[in-house]
Amino acid sequence: MKGFFKWVVQFVVALISILLISGAPQLITGFQKGELLWEEYIETLQFHMKSLWDFRDLSVDYYIGRGEVRQVPVFPQLFENISYSLQLLFLALAAAIIIALIGTFITMLLSEKSRSRVKLIFYFLESFPDILIILLAQLTVVVIFQQTGVLVSKIAVIGDDKIYWLPVLCLMILPMIQLYRLSMLTFEAEERQMYVELAKSLGFGKAFILFLHIFRNAIISVFFQSKKTMWFMLSNLFILELMFHIPGIMYYMSENLSGILFLVTVLSFFLPVFLLYSLGEWYFIRRMSRGGAAL
Amino acid sequence: MKSVWRQPLFLIGFGIVAFFLGGSYVFEWIFGNVPKQTFFIEENGRAVEGPPISPSWMHPLGTDQFGYDMLAKIMLGAKYTILAAMAVAALRMLIAIPLGFVIGTYFQRQRTWINALIDPIHYVPMTIFAVLLLTPILWMPEEGFSTTINERIIFQVIIMALITVPIVATLIGNEANLLYHQEYILAARTLGASRRRIIIRHLTPQLREKMLVLYGQQVVESLIIFAHLGLLQLFLGGTDVDYDPMFGDPPKSISFEWAGIFGNSFQYLQGAPWLPLGPAVSFAIVILAIAAMIEGYTRAMNGKVKLTKRKKMAFVSDETIEWNQQQLKSKLILLKKDMTASK
Repeated sequence: MKGFFKWVVQFVVALISILLISGAPQLITGFQKGELLWEEYIETLQFHMKSLWDFRDLSVDYYIGRGEVRQVPVFPQLFENISYSLQLLFLALAAAIIIALIGTFITMLLSEKSRSRVKLIFYFLESFPDILIILLAQLTVVVIFQQTGVLVSKIAVIGDDKIYWLPVLCLMILPMIQLYRLSMLTFEAEERQMYVELAKSLGFGKAFILFLHIFRNAIISVFFQSKKTMWFMLSNLFILELMFHIPGIMYYMSENLSGILFLVTVLSFFLPVFLLYSLGEWYFIRRMSRGGAAL
Repeated sequence: MKSVWRQPLFLIGFGIVAFFLGGSYVFEWIFGNVPKQTFFIEENGRAVEGPPISPSWMHPLGTDQFGYDMLAKIMLGAKYTILAAMAVAALRMLIAIPLGFVIGTYFQRQRTWINALIDPIHYVPMTIFAVLLLTPILWMPEEGFSTTINERIIFQVIIMALITVPIVATLIGNEANLLYHQEYILAARTLGASRRRIIIRHLTPQLREKMLVLYGQQVVESLIIFAHLGLLQLFLGGTDVDYDPMFGDPPKSISFEWAGIFGNSFQYLQGAPWLPLGPAVSFAIVILAIAAMIEGYTRAMNGKVKLTKRKKMAFVSDETIEWNQQQLKSKLILLKKDMTASK
């Protein structure tokens, strides 16, 4: 019960802070002119709250060309773009997790020396900026097309069609490397635990111990630390959509970022991810307190 | 600190960053702050190529759509981008370290609550925050800027630093809190050390290494956010927007900083790939260099905590301790050999 109360407070405080920030540009604009625009700020907040309240006919401004404004309703039109963005995000997340874990298994079976080399390589790969990876991916597709005439994937979305695998691939690479490094660290820490020694001395094979014992315990720690990766991925998604001209939610943002649009965007990502993580935390903590696995 | 300079990784990274920073100033000093402009390349009296000119010996990174040399632009812009990222990270750490220590020391009971309240920030993309807060500062309004370029740069650095202060502060707070459970700090507290003394004598030296690593990571993060903002046409020090409805120029960066070069040239990816690749690769090189510095630093500092000079406490001389250590080491080696032999 206490946990649930805490969760509600956490949720409400997060919502309120997001709302407070949505009006902040007003304050900053005023600050530049040397005046405090408190009243305007509060008015903006009131306006935002009112528009969120009747969210069924919520709409955002969208600029076509210069100066022309069109109203885009959130339901159902914007909602479609949001779901496309979320699809990309979760597809990439799933792919990143699976590949990172498989990679960890394989490296854990290697010898100590080659392991440290692999780790150093991945350390540097991790620091590659996302923009370069997307640029290189797009260039590769262009070069392949010029050389062979085969279009591996579209590099920009035109019209109503949707592209999936190239953006997902680009979005996946860096989180995968981060998760891989993270799970390598936890797996190695777990490997030094006593119960692993015991299992080894009982004559179980390396792969068996890895899969049945270490994995179960390490995955909890990996989950709790993966929030940073999630955070990083959200920013990446944003840039990815811009660079691929993907008609996701970010597409509207690059044209004009109003307070309402900011609220809609942030909430549409915050709600599902927050729920997902809360569920995961609840599940793992319950499992831990049952004594199923020691952290 | 001496041993850091013997780490090849650190040296390489440091060299690259120093090359870009120092090179940027030297370049400006020698060639002036306007890059060379080439309008077309002639061969046998005929123009063969107009801007953007592809990379060649004369222009190693090609030229942009107006004929300005890309290498010169990148060299001139390096100092703005790198220094701004370093300033953002430094300011962030300056605010976050005291806050973190305070959280870790004085709010130990409330820490779980603080963590729980800060945690949801992880589900909000940072770039969107930055864009929302920076647009009113950096995007030129129709009537022109009311602020000077220096003011805008300062505002931008402050806002970018503040955005992730909560997360960095709780991170430091949690690290500090871990140390409070260490036995030697418990012992110090039992002996009557005040909290202030614990912060100064124990937390600061213990966490110094981690703070420097964290600083490096923050520089990298700020660089990436600069690149993202550049893609959204929000450039360091402001975006010069042409509101002419008919022949408006594209939004321009005021200095030659990299975010601006990258943001302006991304649309030329297919026709002239060297335009966006130049700044993107420069970003990558600097980021990798900083990563190398961090790795070299951690290797040099591994296990070593630098303490402020204090009175000698040991009752035996240094030679005795060293001799003991050597004995122990050789014994351990023998033991290990034994064990491997018996396997």
